[in-house]
Amino acid sequence: MSEQVKLKKIRLEDMLNNNVWDVDPRPHITLDTSKCRDCEYKPCIRLCPVGCYVMHGDDVLFSYEGCVECGTCRVVCPEEAITWEYPRSGRGIHFRFS
Amino acid sequence: MQHRFDAIVVGAGPAGASTAYNLAKAGFNVLMIERGRKPGSKNMFGGRVYKAPVEKAFDDLEKAPIHRWVVKERISMVYDDEALTIEYDGKGRHSFTTYLTDLSSWMADKAVSAGAKLVTEVVVDKLLVEDGWVKGIVSGDEKLYADVVIDCEGVNRLVLERSGFVDKLRPENVALGFKEVLKLSKEDVNKFFGLEDDEGLAWVFMGEYTDGLPGGGFLYTNKDSVSLGLVIYLGHAVKELEKHVYDLIERVRLSRIFNKYFRDARVMEYSAHMIPADVKALRPKRLVYNGLVIAGDAGGFLLNLGYTYRGVDFAAYTGYLAAKAVSEASGDYSQESLSRYEKYVDDSFVGRDLKKFSGVHDLYENRRLFKEYPMLAINLMRRLFNLEYESTKVKDAFNESRKGVIGLTTLLKDLWGVYRKL
Repeated sequence: MSEQVKLKKIRLEDMLNNNVWDVDPRPHITLDTSKCRDCEYKPCIRLCPVGCYVMHGDDVLFSYEGCVECGTCRVVCPEEAITWEYPRSGRGIHFRFS
Repeated sequence: MQHRFDAIVVGAGPAGASTAYNLAKAGFNVLMIERGRKPGSKNMFGGRVYKAPVEKAFDDLEKAPIHRWVVKERISMVYDDEALTIEYDGKGRHSFTTYLTDLSSWMADKAVSAGAKLVTEVVVDKLLVEDGWVKGIVSGDEKLYADVVIDCEGVNRLVLERSGFVDKLRPENVALGFKEVLKLSKEDVNKFFGLEDDEGLAWVFMGEYTDGLPGGGFLYTNKDSVSLGLVIYLGHAVKELEKHVYDLIERVRLSRIFNKYFRDARVMEYSAHMIPADVKALRPKRLVYNGLVIAGDAGGFLLNLGYTYRGVDFAAYTGYLAAKAVSEASGDYSQESLSRYEKYVDDSFVGRDLKKFSGVHDLYENRRLFKEYPMLAINLMRRLFNLEYESTKVKDAFNESRKGVIGLTTLLKDLWGVYRKL
């Protein structure tokens, strides 16, 4: 502990590389992005803990592959733009050490 | 094809496995339905379980995958990368740390050994409701029938929502918990936190790491890893959080206070889960309906006092009570007959705790707890301890730290509120 090692921030993509998924080819979440344009706060962008929602210009880009199925996005979305299902057949996140 | 069971349990987490285990022991033909590849693979928690209620629900707890027994409790207020910490170094071994993924598997294995059936990789879409009675479950095109269904699906209760038994979750009802599990050697865990053998530490902190928003942080020591995480109440975060939540947890790991523990650490997993926050709002109108019982997080059973979080033991215990009520109903699963479960819950430590601490959630609305008070605490410490020549009288240090931050009447009012509600 004595030697000074400077810890660096881990990029979220690299952090997520430690997780195990069996990604369902059919998305379990769909986003109606047309509703996102009028959304004032866009809470999904900051509150999805794995960054499934990102801004690209004025648009919200969405990918479901890294989802850990916490359900936060469906709860915080003020526009009801999200349809949310659990992945079928044991697909999706597979926690091992949580 | 029609399948029929005495009881179907939705979800093989701590509540579901406890229900199934105790029903199977009572001779029921019970089916647990789990959406994950195996029980536990969709479960996540902070890191600590209280022993007594789980021991009531499960035999042979000493054989469970227990990592460490908590003997050390730390509570910190953090401001400007400095912390004021209270530490209780006790002898008690009342709670333990573990991975919930492993503990859930162990619990479900117990249920299966007792005779319960388990199917995995099956998502329950909704309850099968006919003529005002829950008759079973629907999964895709398939219907499964049972005399009674026990819903232990967890906080993200899609099944209950879709079946019309509860309202849609609102941001102010729930919190987001997320954590990094960081691998260290067992020796380093012991050395860093002053522990021996299987002793464990539970550390909660509040203040700047949640950017002044209601919530807090936690660190739990596992056998050879540490769970480092944050809890953010979603109500305020929707409009007020400016950073990404991942940046918040990384800031904790990299902070002056915490980074020294993690210089040789390797990330094992990054996980997240919702947590019941406003327990009163989350409690379904009834915990029982004709043919249906609700247990665990799905019923909103969780107690967060800021210094302790209790969810897993509440889940296991309400599952135990659900099984008790169902087996005592002698085949009459009408709402009236099952209402004995509501009485068992309300008369148990779970019901008493939730009632006793029903005002605590309001405390979380007091934003000063997360910003001004940690600031006051650190400024006070600085004035008392960061001395050069002249020492400061405590009362002067206190008043100088308080001035412009919190008015005296506000402070007294807040103290009274905490005293009353906690």
